[in-house]
Amino acid sequence: MKTSRHFLSVFLFLFVVSLTNAQTADEIVDNYFENTGGKENWEKLETLKFTGSLGFQGMQLPVTLIQTKSGKQLVGAEIQGQMFYQMVYDGETLWKTNQQTFEAEKNDAETTENYKLTIADFPDPFLNYKEKGYKIELMGQQMVEGTETFKIKLEKKPKMFNDIQEPNIEYYYFEKENFVPILVEKNVMIGPNTSQLGTTKLSDYREVEGIYFPFSIIEGVQGNPDAQPIVIKEIEVNPELDDSIFDFPK
Amino acid sequence: MKKLVLTLFALALIPLAATAQDKITLKGKELFGDMRARHIGPALMSGRINDLELHPSNSRIIYAGTAGGGVWKSSDGGATFSPIFDDYVQSIGVVTLDPNDPDQTIWVGTGETWTRNSVSVGDGLYRTTDGGGTWKEIPGFENSERIASVVVNPKNSNEVYVGVLGALWSDSEDRGVYKTTDGGKTWNKILYVGPSTGAADVIMDPTNPNVLYTSMWQFRRTGWGFNSGGENSAIYKSTDAGKTWNKIHNGFPGGKLGRIGLAVAPSDNNRLYAVLETEDKAKNGLWVSKDAGKSWEHLNNDFGLVVRPFYFSRITVDPRNPDIIVKGGLSGSISRDGGKTFKNLGQMHSDIHDVVFHIKDSDIMYAGTDGGVYRSWNGGTTFEIVENLPLSQFYHISVDDAEPYNVYGGLQDNGSWWGPSSSPGGVEARDWNSVGAGDGFRVLKHPTKNIIYSEMQGAENVWRYDVDKNRTKTIQPLPRKGDEELRFNWNAPMAVSAHVPDRFYMGSQFVHRSDDMGDTWTIISPDLTTNDPAKQDQSKSGGLSVDNSGAENHTTIFTIAESPLDQNILWVGTDDGNVQVTQDGGKTWNNVTPNLVGIPANTWVYHIEASVHGKGTAYAVFDGHTTGDMKPYALKTTDFGKTWKNIITDDIDERAFVRNIQEDYENEDLLFLGTEFGLYVTIDGGKNWSHFTNNMPLVAVHFIDLQKQTNDLVMGTHGRGVIIIDDISPLREIDQEILAKDVHFFDTEPITMVEQGGFSGNFGAETQFVGGNKPTSARIIYYLKKRHTFGKMAMEIQDMEGNTLTELNPGKSKGINVVNWNFNTTTPKMAAAKTFSFGGFTSPRVPAGKYKVVLTKGKNTYEHIIETKYDDTAITTLAERKKQEEMTQEMFDMVEDLAYMVYEIGEMQDKAKEVMENNPKGKKTAQKLYDALEDLRTDLVVTTGDNYVASAEPELRERMAELYANIAGSYDRVSGAQLQNYELIKEEFENEKNRYAEIKNKEGKKFMRFLEKNDMELSMDSKEEYLEDK
Repeated sequence: MKTSRHFLSVFLFLFVVSLTNAQTADEIVDNYFENTGGKENWEKLETLKFTGSLGFQGMQLPVTLIQTKSGKQLVGAEIQGQMFYQMVYDGETLWKTNQQTFEAEKNDAETTENYKLTIADFPDPFLNYKEKGYKIELMGQQMVEGTETFKIKLEKKPKMFNDIQEPNIEYYYFEKENFVPILVEKNVMIGPNTSQLGTTKLSDYREVEGIYFPFSIIEGVQGNPDAQPIVIKEIEVNPELDDSIFDFPK
Repeated sequence: MKKLVLTLFALALIPLAATAQDKITLKGKELFGDMRARHIGPALMSGRINDLELHPSNSRIIYAGTAGGGVWKSSDGGATFSPIFDDYVQSIGVVTLDPNDPDQTIWVGTGETWTRNSVSVGDGLYRTTDGGGTWKEIPGFENSERIASVVVNPKNSNEVYVGVLGALWSDSEDRGVYKTTDGGKTWNKILYVGPSTGAADVIMDPTNPNVLYTSMWQFRRTGWGFNSGGENSAIYKSTDAGKTWNKIHNGFPGGKLGRIGLAVAPSDNNRLYAVLETEDKAKNGLWVSKDAGKSWEHLNNDFGLVVRPFYFSRITVDPRNPDIIVKGGLSGSISRDGGKTFKNLGQMHSDIHDVVFHIKDSDIMYAGTDGGVYRSWNGGTTFEIVENLPLSQFYHISVDDAEPYNVYGGLQDNGSWWGPSSSPGGVEARDWNSVGAGDGFRVLKHPTKNIIYSEMQGAENVWRYDVDKNRTKTIQPLPRKGDEELRFNWNAPMAVSAHVPDRFYMGSQFVHRSDDMGDTWTIISPDLTTNDPAKQDQSKSGGLSVDNSGAENHTTIFTIAESPLDQNILWVGTDDGNVQVTQDGGKTWNNVTPNLVGIPANTWVYHIEASVHGKGTAYAVFDGHTTGDMKPYALKTTDFGKTWKNIITDDIDERAFVRNIQEDYENEDLLFLGTEFGLYVTIDGGKNWSHFTNNMPLVAVHFIDLQKQTNDLVMGTHGRGVIIIDDISPLREIDQEILAKDVHFFDTEPITMVEQGGFSGNFGAETQFVGGNKPTSARIIYYLKKRHTFGKMAMEIQDMEGNTLTELNPGKSKGINVVNWNFNTTTPKMAAAKTFSFGGFTSPRVPAGKYKVVLTKGKNTYEHIIETKYDDTAITTLAERKKQEEMTQEMFDMVEDLAYMVYEIGEMQDKAKEVMENNPKGKKTAQKLYDALEDLRTDLVVTTGDNYVASAEPELRERMAELYANIAGSYDRVSGAQLQNYELIKEEFENEKNRYAEIKNKEGKKFMRFLEKNDMELSMDSKEEYLEDK
């Protein structure tokens, strides 16, 4: 009996593989959630805390990233024992550390509004994407990092850049073999790399409380894809937090 | 029983094992993994632009369709551009935004339309519906070669007209005007007049989408001539959305017409402008119709309006004023009186192909030229160049053996240049040096002297430039008494000898040899071409407008290759299909053309590569595109051309004609093929080819060189400048055994830790193209059988005892991965303070020696040993360096000792504070300790100010770290001043340590006693624990 069941699952597996040519975007996304812990588990997430290290100009800086369902967020890197914050949101104000004074300063209004649009991404932009008003589309198959992927376009609500509304599109490349994204691309709209294609390479997926997360996140741009590597050392799921850590220091 | 099962199991596995031994063939990205090309430009002279397109409502967005470098988008009003079409053919005819969806839907018609001799080819029509993120080819235009126009009905995106100019070099029925009414699913050819006449312009009435105008052009180019004009050239008008078309020539002279540029004024749909090429010189130039084409009036035949119609037939009318018109040309012309009079546009690169007016402000204009995109802010009087479009169109490149090596090459209409392959801060515009005027082609460095040879078109001038003395001499072979007229190709061949440094070759129809660097010449061959007189009269080339620039000179030698193994073996290839070889230094020549296999007669011999692997071995590539034959051809001989073997396979695009081949110097089976659609690589002698597309656009590769010391593959592309693949040596090693392994590290020679520390300054880098540098770090190269996605994969560098020195981020791609290590370990842990200690951002370099690269992947660990060595150019003795390393370590430890001391102080202060707040009895004791420690702390680290102009005076931490960084970061011996400073800091630190010990002994003891009495504890990390957590 055991053998036949095993046989059956192997058979099913082969069957699934042979069907990959006829995947729809929704099937790919469903497979992704299925393979990374199941939608139910994903939906239980309220808060995620990532700690790890960021490679920066030859140094490894300890970094912390906290995201919550309500939108509160904190990104901090420790440099010579001091915390340097970026993109911290307390529910009202988006703020950051000024690198000269080390004082907190508010982000500009447009950046804050654009940030608010990303709150719905938690814990994963594809989770119940329709309810978020996002659209997805399978754009085809492409070889990325030497392996076949499905290219899925994720269109979110448009953002504003210096008063002009711009489409908000990201591309996720899901590895065909296992349906997890290994590359994300989006246009950089601000800063020194404006107009370039920003890239995020994902790997080292590991399980934490039933859900698979990428533990290696490498940010870059098209011509320099390995600019900013982050290695996650620990992920805490729904940790207890003192909410005041997000507050804009008055 | 168990045994039996096992045996059965093993038996069952046998067929599986046999399958596993099947040959593994990896293609493209599967093989190359994250091995990436880097681009060094240059962008200072940019390259040819075919078409400019503006967003109709967002003035920040501009598209440039380039002649050979793809599609570029600006989102900042033309300050900078980024490429958005790199995965496709790079020769662009037209870029059109859907007026109903200009953010997302963009049409690109490929194949440039200004049909000079050196044009690239397109392969059809593409569309994106997501702003350039994803492109889809629109079926039906595969053989269009050149698309001039795409027009979308502003009221209906499904209705699109495409003007196909079509094949330049041959008849083709894939021409004329096409229409879809279902958004591109199906197409009808709605205007076609013959196999040699294409649509040069299709335009739509700005208010009535049923009214269309088309200019049809009869034209043909051959390897030896050009013909513009014929009975079929005409302007057609349709008022029923393309169902019927009528010629509108009322007022035009009779007879043949040539290329016609056409425009309708956006603000007055009755106003049409046309530039004509006619049989009557007086009637050439600009015509106007004020009644939507019913009648025409001749306006102007100034030079700027009639010059080279095949190259400059573009008219642009100001969107707000029908009287302001601009025409492309040698300088470009602008009229403000409806075309009656013109003046030149402001100074910019010559050869203006397209001009557009800003959507809101006509003072702002953009021009596309042979030298890139220009911006004007004052209505076309002053122009400035866009500095980050590296579109340079190389005909040829070469390299030298300097460190870093230089790249030499000549450009279409942009002279000859040399520049470094790496430069402090990246390869910038200012790093490039001019070494020739006119069109540039071959540029060669003298093998031993600091002398550069360069040339201009048709060898009109060949220059010998003495770099050190800054002297130039013209040295081209000149006819002697009794000589036939010399026929040089537009891109005339030159070669230097690997055996006789002063020897220099040139080819006309003869091979010319000089043994004194071009001062005197000897002809060492008979006419090696077919000498076909039918291909030798260029005086009438051009058609209606004579265009005898020399670009069509034919029956000439095109490539000369001296054997690297024997100075008497020379190979010659001609543009009319001959391959000739001499084995006795030119005394006798053997025409081996009849032995070629599968090459149509008279197919251009573009390059011959004489092999290092055998005197009789050579490769020849053939380019038939000037007869309309786009097929790739490459042959190999091992017997001086007696027999040849085809090395092309179906892996190569059937239209990717070949211009160059480069062999590897070590592995005979490793070859690189430069084609119209990018680079192909074989690792098995041509049995299988892989398209290299990692940061390598499908750009025409005109020439490839392999730099011997670095194994860098250097490509001269015709549209994207110089592109380099650093160190191709891993490709030499790949074999079946490696491909079958999960992980394989490639061996590397001991790696020099390059010692350089200069200044770069990066002024202008905000908007200038800066080429990437070759990393001077250690390259750790390995092959992964499978992309790593699940589970942990990490890499670290260990010393041979297994101590971790630093962590690296390993690549996870299937195929070849390259990880760079800059020879540094980690930065010291710094004492906490109010501000940064900038000295603390320096990490020590490792000493020369062997190191372990340890890759952990899931449960498996893979080790590989690399060796580093000191730079031969070091300015220290070994003893001095050892002293520097020793002191670096001592200072590093000192910095961390201080950090731990400050940590301890902080922990004690925290505890004291806790007591002060909660235990009134201990408050005094705690306060005393706290104050004493705070006193000390403020002398140890900065506790006030900021990182900028409010910064505090440096304390011990800052001064100590500064000294540490200066010693660690230096390539020189530790200086006397540093040693004296070291004594000072060491002593100061000793004093502070004593102070600290005293405090601990006095205030500390009391406080500890208090804690003990009250059952309180002070716990802190040990030094090891503290330092571990960096």
